[in-house]
Amino acid sequence: MHNLSAFWTIQMGITAFLVFLGLYCLLTMRNLIKLLIGVEIISKGISLAIIATGAEQQSIGLAQSLMITYILAEVIVVATALAIIINIFRHTKTLDIGDLTTLKG
Amino acid sequence: MDIFFYLGLTIFSILAVILRDLLKSAISLAVASIFLSMIFFRLGAPIAGVFELSIVAGLIMVLFISTIVLTSNVCEEPSSQTAKTILPLVMAVFIVIDAFIVRAIMGKLVAIPASRETLPFNEILWNIRTFDLVGQIALILAGVAAVLAFFRTRGADDA
Repeated sequence: MHNLSAFWTIQMGITAFLVFLGLYCLLTMRNLIKLLIGVEIISKGISLAIIATGAEQQSIGLAQSLMITYILAEVIVVATALAIIINIFRHTKTLDIGDLTTLKG
Repeated sequence: MDIFFYLGLTIFSILAVILRDLLKSAISLAVASIFLSMIFFRLGAPIAGVFELSIVAGLIMVLFISTIVLTSNVCEEPSSQTAKTILPLVMAVFIVIDAFIVRAIMGKLVAIPASRETLPFNEILWNIRTFDLVGQIALILAGVAAVLAFFRTRGADDA
């Protein structure tokens, strides 16, 4: 067993900040696209955590293979969410979540 | 040198949140992705870096910009005045606490024992993580089905 490096701790600090920033965006913004940008920022923090930990533990190959799966999942989430957003805009002519008070199609 | 990449990632992520213009916000997110891919290269993960650069900074941004063009480029103000004033303060407090915690635990955390990796990346992806590939194929098909369902034009039967 060894102690994790100081550089890894700083990387985890940046990860925590990015996750907090994304949560801040999700809590304060009303625009649907902005909310998705918040989710993307959280996912950037998680990506950094995966690769930084892989590099620290000298398992960068495993971290990269997990990262590829993660990026793929991220793309599918974004594509589906943007398709939903476009459909919402077509129906309601707004992207404000405050105006989305009904699930009627 | 590395510090500039981390600073760039943080600053452009903040810009992506605070900018009111959605297009500028999306472009800031793309620039943050470019910095993240540079960090991946520096950490010895070039394949993850290439994926981050081409897919996240490229493809996802094209999807974002297309959506912004198809909808509206106006972003409303935060939901309430309280949220607008209190949450930035909470964020500042969080940064200070985060910095203190990082300083306190720096170099003191013990790593979980892990065997040193000896296999090359292609062996890990194709032989050890084979089941991930099945999941990835399922994800792609699910995504295609979802997008097709959302953009389905209403046929004569549905009317």
